[in-house]
Amino acid sequence: MAAADSPSAALRRRDLCSRGIRLAGKMRADVVDLLDTYVEQQGLDASASVAAVEGVPLAAVERWDEQTGTQRLLENLAAYRAFRALLAQMLEEQREQLGEADAGLGRALAAVLLQVSAFAYHLEELLRLESRGIPGEEGDGPPPPPRLGLFEQKLRGLGVLRELAQWAVRSARDLRQLAKPSPATGTAPGLVESP
Amino acid sequence: QFERVGADVTMKCGSMDWDAAVTWTVNGTDIDESHLNGSYLILKNVGLSQSGQYSCYEGSSWHLKYQTYLRVGTPPKEPVLMCRSNNYPKGFYCSWHLPTPTYIPNTFNISVIHGTKDMVCEKDAVPKNRCHIRYLQLFSTVKYKVTLTVTNALGKNFTTLTFDEFAIVKPDPPESVVAKPVPNNPRRLEVSWQNPSSWPDPESFPLKFFLRYRPLILDQWQHVELSDGTSHTITDAYAGKEYIIQVAAKDNDIGTWSDWSVAVHATPWTEEPKHLTTEAQITETTSASTSSFMAPPTTKICDKGAMVGSGAVAVCWTAGLVVAAYSVLFI
Repeated sequence: MAAADSPSAALRRRDLCSRGIRLAGKMRADVVDLLDTYVEQQGLDASASVAAVEGVPLAAVERWDEQTGTQRLLENLAAYRAFRALLAQMLEEQREQLGEADAGLGRALAAVLLQVSAFAYHLEELLRLESRGIPGEEGDGPPPPPRLGLFEQKLRGLGVLRELAQWAVRSARDLRQLAKPSPATGTAPGLVESP
Repeated sequence: QFERVGADVTMKCGSMDWDAAVTWTVNGTDIDESHLNGSYLILKNVGLSQSGQYSCYEGSSWHLKYQTYLRVGTPPKEPVLMCRSNNYPKGFYCSWHLPTPTYIPNTFNISVIHGTKDMVCEKDAVPKNRCHIRYLQLFSTVKYKVTLTVTNALGKNFTTLTFDEFAIVKPDPPESVVAKPVPNNPRRLEVSWQNPSSWPDPESFPLKFFLRYRPLILDQWQHVELSDGTSHTITDAYAGKEYIIQVAAKDNDIGTWSDWSVAVHATPWTEEPKHLTTEAQITETTSASTSSFMAPPTTKICDKGAMVGSGAVAVCWTAGLVVAAYSVLFI
């Protein structure tokens, strides 16, 4: 854990956190815009309640303020890896359904997918900095659900984008918590743990 | 006994027969017999002013046979309910009121549901029409449903609000707004403020700010949005003009802007005007300067081109004509 405590590591962590916060902010803004486009193009009601969809990581968390730094990073990483797969599936489905008819939506989905991938990589960097092993992607939960009917696909897409928008806000908050120096040791709270 | 405004009310004198001789009073004052039908008291189209203590006495013995306190009122209209989080992420509060009074006691019951979970809204002692809830979960997409029911003796009504966690976040206005002139800078004003004290964790949940300012003499506001920091220097103030300044706050990521802060007033720094009475100025202005003896610019009465003569006795044509005219009058 000595590496995690060094001044250069602390600086690097702070830098990664600030950039991550900006990434999360941009991602959220783009996801919100994408949601508006998606709802319109798919003919959905923006206020419709969507039941929790299997495989979509929920941003909702209890006792958020009590989480350790490592918990935050691991939960975020698992979520964004799942979103990467879900968005890739949405993109494929959208291309199959509409072909070139809605290139705009496809481009917007692809742009968000790119940001999600970048954010996942960013989280891996933060975990490496803490000398934590990066969990393998096989351990990230159940395989993607079977192919759904067209309407179910649209509802799942709505659920995915809504949860992603929530995660983007949560991630910014998580990174701000991580960036806070610990009063005793000067390191980020929750990251220095007993073996 | 509760009755609606506009209702017709019939009061029986306890177990007395219809044809018994009785006297009715309201708040100790006898009621005219024209309101009686036998021993029954008939009040038609009751109004609020007819609320009071009604008593019925047996005619000759003056024994009290019946008494009731009549309260005239209305059933409740749909209540007005508002929920807001000014202390995110700790929780939120809901407050309510009736759009019009009922003039009789009401009880309020509030229920809060998050998904399938019932939540307890703890009532505040003061004010009475308010309760607060602690968030058990954060970052949830599941909406909250708040139902407020108001009941009184004459009826019932309710209203429901549905919202998500982010939508109701609205901080209190910034506090301790201070605006000061900047020495030797006639176009600057330094403004500073503090985060609202009700916002529990500005480090993890930073606020951004919106500043607006205008000179008192103009209606148009200037606006500046500030993503961090709790101070700002205005650099385009009109020299010498008094300004009014306000600040609002919003969570960096979610919710809506606060109300505007209390307004503060400030005037940019101006250079001290030179006075006639100072010795240094008298010794300084011996020959060339005529500023002490010339009218100030706002009271200028003629152009430089119309001047006759030179130095301290320069007089313009217009003034000269006026002086000449007065001189003629007094010869």
